Amino acid sequence: MSNKINRRDFLKFVGAGTIGAGAGFLAADVSKMSTEFLIPQVNLPEDYSPGIATWYNTVCTLCSAGCGISVRIREGRAKKIEGNRSHPVNQGKLCAVGQAGLNVLYNPDRIKTPLLRDGERGSGSFRPIGWDEALTTISGVLGTLKIQKKANNAYLLSGAVSGHLNDLFALFMDQLGSQNYLQHEFSYPASLYAANKACFDEDVLPYYDIRNSKYLLSFGADYLGAWLSPVHHGVSYGHLRQGTGQRGRCVQIEPRMSLSGANADEWIAARPGSEGMLALAMAHSIVEQGLYAGADAGDWQQALAAYSPASVAGPSGISAARIVRIATEFAAASPSLAIGGGAAGASTNGTANLVAVNVLNFIGGNIGEAGGILFNPASTFSIDAPRPRAGYQEMLKLFASLSGDDAEVLILHDTNPVFTLPSSANVAAAVMAVPYVIGMSSFMDETMALADIILPLDTYLEVWGDSIPDPGVGFAVASIAQPVVKRLYDTRSAGDIILALAHQIGGELPANMPWTSMENYIMEMWRAVYQGKSNDSSDHGFRKFWLSILESGVWGERSPQQARPRQAMSQAMLSAVHMTQPSFAGNESEYRFVMQPYLSLAFQDGRGANLPWLQELPDPLTSVVYNSWVELNPKTAAELAIHEGDVLLIESTVGSLEAPAFIYQAIRPDVVAMPIGQGHGNYGRYASGRGSNPIEILAPETDIDSGGLAWSATRVKISKTGRRVHVIKTDGTTRDLGRNILGPGHGHA
Amino acid sequence: MSISVLEALAHFKKPVLVLFAGLAGFVGGIWVNGTYFGDASPVQPIEFSHRIHAGENEIPCQYCHVYAARTPVAGVPSVEKCMGCHRSVAIDKPEIIKVAQYYADHEPIPWIKVYDVPDFVHFTHKRHIQAGLECRECHGPVATMDRITRQQPLRMPWCVDCHTKKEVVNGRDCWTCHK
Repeated sequence: MSNKINRRDFLKFVGAGTIGAGAGFLAADVSKMSTEFLIPQVNLPEDYSPGIATWYNTVCTLCSAGCGISVRIREGRAKKIEGNRSHPVNQGKLCAVGQAGLNVLYNPDRIKTPLLRDGERGSGSFRPIGWDEALTTISGVLGTLKIQKKANNAYLLSGAVSGHLNDLFALFMDQLGSQNYLQHEFSYPASLYAANKACFDEDVLPYYDIRNSKYLLSFGADYLGAWLSPVHHGVSYGHLRQGTGQRGRCVQIEPRMSLSGANADEWIAARPGSEGMLALAMAHSIVEQGLYAGADAGDWQQALAAYSPASVAGPSGISAARIVRIATEFAAASPSLAIGGGAAGASTNGTANLVAVNVLNFIGGNIGEAGGILFNPASTFSIDAPRPRAGYQEMLKLFASLSGDDAEVLILHDTNPVFTLPSSANVAAAVMAVPYVIGMSSFMDETMALADIILPLDTYLEVWGDSIPDPGVGFAVASIAQPVVKRLYDTRSAGDIILALAHQIGGELPANMPWTSMENYIMEMWRAVYQGKSNDSSDHGFRKFWLSILESGVWGERSPQQARPRQAMSQAMLSAVHMTQPSFAGNESEYRFVMQPYLSLAFQDGRGANLPWLQELPDPLTSVVYNSWVELNPKTAAELAIHEGDVLLIESTVGSLEAPAFIYQAIRPDVVAMPIGQGHGNYGRYASGRGSNPIEILAPETDIDSGGLAWSATRVKISKTGRRVHVIKTDGTTRDLGRNILGPGHGHA
Repeated sequence: MSISVLEALAHFKKPVLVLFAGLAGFVGGIWVNGTYFGDASPVQPIEFSHRIHAGENEIPCQYCHVYAARTPVAGVPSVEKCMGCHRSVAIDKPEIIKVAQYYADHEPIPWIKVYDVPDFVHFTHKRHIQAGLECRECHGPVATMDRITRQQPLRMPWCVDCHTKKEVVNGRDCWTCHK
């Protein structure tokens, strides 16, 4: 080997040097931070400093409970939603849906401009237009109807709205000359309102004082899950269990164990629809034992004679001894409280069931008592227009008139009846029969897709409004909704749209609806309230009041409970109490199982399915995520040789659907259950094409007293399709596999 | 008997030289990148001069960087703030015409960050100013620079050195910066 450097070696040195230099250059380059920009504001905002969070209070309207929320804002963007600590409904707590509210605001599937249909009706083909064109077109259509005195052929169907937006809708339709304003919500408990009207002559729901109760007996009401005001109930439940030295007892009567059932001390799987009979049998037992102190005990003995525990044991499937034991416990505990709802109120005898629960409370001495049923004061915000919430029968009536020859215009606001009503109601056909359909929504969904023109709405974090929680909390409460962020897109609030339309339609509308914006309207309405309550009529005084409410997010007023004459109430109850056997669609021999759809904690009636955080949330009882499933008792599954993941065909008398099986120990063998919420066809990228919708196959049975949909009155048959899928869940097995984790006697479920 | 590495390497003289040539090239490459292609002094969308503003006109730092004393970030002035003076001052200069155009279009000026720490570092201006530090202790003689050049590596040893020297309470605790 020579030491001289030849040409070949020279090239090697040069090559190595070059490659090294290149590598060094690249190494230095990749170790650099990526270029970041400092984007200034064009105009300096006054109300924030970068990096410092500001919290604004407003109201959550993702369900009807009306929780107060505090939203964390940084640099003008909403970052986090928490419960408002000063709000009496949720007391600083918030449910998963409320937490996922940011997904509503930032959802990539939001409608960002007004849309005009440019294909066949229902084809879902739209083109963007400007607001001026959209509002001019709509006010032209409505104005023409008004001039022709045919405005009563215009219909407004809204989702559940409370407060002054409801007033504004009512006023607008009235001014237009139409009587056709309705609100639709799947979970509207028509039977509960009917039962309370019959027993207490109340239009608003009473306050169920779970917090101070010592014995909570629930007939089908999943108070921790989806019943009325779950966050409020959750806080109250905590107090009932651990707030005082004496731990309160919870008993849950329902054919399929809900979250509340799982948290109860005792779960009683009575036959669906027999809840009212059980309540009456318990009342019977209390009266028979002489535990009812009223002077009219004799009348009650007579009224309840037909419901002895022995006679109810058969139809309910619960032994007489157990009924008597629960009744005795219930009467002995003080205070005790019986609540009813969910499936118990959604049978064909739903109202009768819930009247029976009220009767049990009366016999137990719980009415008007702390820890029992308290009454909400009539709202101070005297809503001139009561909320026109429609039960199923009224919805059917609406669809009949929409399908008739006279219907001209349908305005849909934030509601999706195509998804939330059974297919037998033919909602889509009725909507399609209307010559002109106007949609107002933040999202495209199954119903909005049928519209001719769509106005994009602000989300609840971008609007002015107010809300009066129903059920209330025992005293007068209202809160103002204020925009916590500047609107992200070219959207508007429903209130502003209505006011703009009123001004464009003209006639006497602008004079009778003189407000320049929803903010102005809400402020004027609250000014009137303030002036009615205070001697101070100065603008300064109102400003202070207004700002203090915006800051705290809530207004409330203590008011003493009105004492109610016991005798009159007893008479009202005696005449209200009645009972019919529940009936079901489908004969028992062919359709063996009663179908129990239940409101999903995450999706409610399906509206939450487009929020990705909620899609990722495992169901609390089954731990299943991302899909639909059918719950079967292990005995049923064994008998039909069904295993978890077997795709089943579920057939009712009116329709069928497919869903994978999930074996669930806590359900009656003659009942199958399915969560509501999935099964969307057209609801954005996160919801569409996922799972199936049990509402679709419900038979059109109604509660005979209230006309509400009896969604717990459908029988189904199930068969295997032969296909099998993997059910995605976070749990392993629900059995302890001989490890005796729960102690003796609990090892084998 | 002594063992010499050199003697052992004598047989591999050429490969070793090749390796050294490569290493030298590597170091050279890094140097070239850092010197001629560095990100310490990026070209900004507007040829803004701190020398004129902070130097000649003696405008205090916090007149424009308004948030420095009270928030984590110093804050870059809003376009409106620029226009506050430049509606009447030097309106014919080409760079000012650019600023006016941004303002007219209601567009922010996309300044390039010179001082940037990774997202896992929780740096806050507020505390450093409250502790009495002068801006120039980190940012250097800004009043003499036309275009801003980064004066510090902004690496962790530099942070910790200063925290140690100044005996900052909890200054060496991980959680002080990495929350």
